[in-house]
Amino acid sequence: MFAVLIDQFWSLTIAGVALGFIYVLISLGYTMVYGVLRMINFANSEIFMWGTFGTIITSRDIFHYTQTSEPARGFKLALVLLSSLLMSMLVAGLTAVFVEFVAYRRLRAKGTNRLATLISAIGISIVLSEVMRLLTASRPVGAPRVLEKIILTEIWGANIRLDTIITIIAAAIIFFILERFVKLSRMGKAIRAVSMNEDAAKLMGVNLNRVIATTFLVGGLATGAASFFYVTVFEYTKFNIGFTMGMAAFTAAVLGGIGNIRGAFYGGLTLGLLEVYASAVLGTQWKAVTVFIVLVLVLLFKPNGLFGEAVQTTRA
Amino acid sequence: MNKKIKSSLAIVTAVAVAFGIASVPTASAATKTYTIAYQGPLSGGEASTGIDEQNAVKYAIKLFEAANKNIKVKIVSVDDEGDAGKAGTVAPGVAANKNILGLVGPAYSGATIASLPYYKAAGMALISPSATRVSLTDPTSADFGGPVFHRVVGKDDLQGPALAKYATKGVSNAKVFVFDDQSAYAVPLRGYVEAGLKKVTGATLVGGDSVPKDATDYAPTIAKINQSGATVVIYTGYYSAAAIFIKQLRDTGSKAIFAGGDGVFNQEFPVLAGAAAEGSRVTGVGGLAGVSAKLEADFKKKMGVSSGVYSVEAFDAANLLLSGIKAGKTTRAAMLKYVNAYKGKSITGNTIKFDKNGDISYGLFAGFTSKGGVLVNTGIVK
Repeated sequence: MFAVLIDQFWSLTIAGVALGFIYVLISLGYTMVYGVLRMINFANSEIFMWGTFGTIITSRDIFHYTQTSEPARGFKLALVLLSSLLMSMLVAGLTAVFVEFVAYRRLRAKGTNRLATLISAIGISIVLSEVMRLLTASRPVGAPRVLEKIILTEIWGANIRLDTIITIIAAAIIFFILERFVKLSRMGKAIRAVSMNEDAAKLMGVNLNRVIATTFLVGGLATGAASFFYVTVFEYTKFNIGFTMGMAAFTAAVLGGIGNIRGAFYGGLTLGLLEVYASAVLGTQWKAVTVFIVLVLVLLFKPNGLFGEAVQTTRA
Repeated sequence: MNKKIKSSLAIVTAVAVAFGIASVPTASAATKTYTIAYQGPLSGGEASTGIDEQNAVKYAIKLFEAANKNIKVKIVSVDDEGDAGKAGTVAPGVAANKNILGLVGPAYSGATIASLPYYKAAGMALISPSATRVSLTDPTSADFGGPVFHRVVGKDDLQGPALAKYATKGVSNAKVFVFDDQSAYAVPLRGYVEAGLKKVTGATLVGGDSVPKDATDYAPTIAKINQSGATVVIYTGYYSAAAIFIKQLRDTGSKAIFAGGDGVFNQEFPVLAGAAAEGSRVTGVGGLAGVSAKLEADFKKKMGVSSGVYSVEAFDAANLLLSGIKAGKTTRAAMLKYVNAYKGKSITGNTIKFDKNGDISYGLFAGFTSKGGVLVNTGIVK
């Protein structure tokens, strides 16, 4: 039973960490919005899905890579990867702001109850996924291979591959930048102020609408970065990938303590590792069962998740 | 959350189907209008299968109407998303619409089982192009679809052994790893593949796994494959997941032969997987393009798209119902009797005749190998 785990431990760990970092970035989309609005952004999964198309459009349509073309090298590689990343972040960020504008802002202004916004968010998420389904004729879309998956080195019998290393390092950097942004920048302080007390923040001259739109934008940018890594590693997208990834990232956010940025970090990594270890030891059919048993156990002992504070009190 | 909303939408659609069809325009004196239905996934994750099949049905109707100027045939599209839960909500509306003489579909086995009680009660003939689950035509099973259910596709217990044989062809002492996607299609098929492997000399089963069909990270499965030393990997799920999997497997440096069943049989598989798909072995039924290039060209001209999976089966099934209309079987009961007694030719040249449980007499699976981005037919697996 444990033979696979022992034999392939490091391969599994590296795969789990890379997957975990993708979860971390998506769960930021959930956690940021929850931290400020105390509402779940159910459309975040579809924001992620739209982001994946940003990368594909950049590599396939702007740089004209095809399934059969040679992977890029040197400067060109950096250029394509960086523009794909920015495009995915841009697409997801704008989609997130659009969601805020359509599903949240007006309802908030009218002072409707939380359930109304919940439904409007679900509604917009169905619209986003169905529009993409129509645009892609329900077909999966393959991404051209821009980054050659070179095996850099072997450590303890595990292959260290370029794409996984890039994912881990770049995702960590992006997470760090966003976390610093919320903690140190003027806008970050405003976000935390709104999160602590909306009315007081308003009285202090904080522009509520702008702060909330920025929160969605930042969450969207993080989610968009995740989209880029997802496409780079898995080279695939489809109009319905959002549900599974979004569900996992939401679970990660709750596991870490929703509303808490650091919680998203630990929650995402824990979930990524837990998924691969459980799949390897018990069989993949037990993955979901194991993950949710662990989630329930954690919530039993720590009802607010592992790091159950909100955005407001996040400290270094 | 999403799913609940979708199912309530499905109820609305079911009501719309029931009412919408009640207002079928009455035909003018010269031409008569008849209605048949297609049921399969037309939206949701499996939509491409249903859209492909429905296109083949529409194509058959086009050809039929061109040949029979005084008959118009209307198609009612029934979207069950390939899902049993949704099928149960749309089927009552279809059964209640007396204009529908017969139905091509349901496309998926699970959706078929959920729809059957309504269609049995209505006595409406069903001809499925792609529901391959064995229990549907097993009279001892609760899922038995007789006398209304028929299919023009081979069952999984024929496909499993064919896949096992084709996957291990030319491999001495094959060490085989089999995994499924947890779907109602893939899990039983995996069982039939494993049973078939026992009859292949020298082949041993070295491991298996069961991965959700919407998974994207196959690292744990690949770890098991590499640890087991498998030389042949068989996947019984669908093509989009297979494409993701095979890329990841090849990226770890594995040279094991990859094989899949008719779920993987789709020309999009080598396109999505790129170079990683090269040499993959897939069993399936040839599409219209496999029958003749001329037919495929005509299809593309009339429908604006290429024919897809199960296009031959959907085309055959539609033609069967259309021939019934031409023969004047314009009530459900007459149509059902006609289908049960039918004997005619498939577009592939095989003879379509149903046994008393609704199965056709043939069920031949061809082997395809991925070469240069295309699945190339290598002939019937013997």
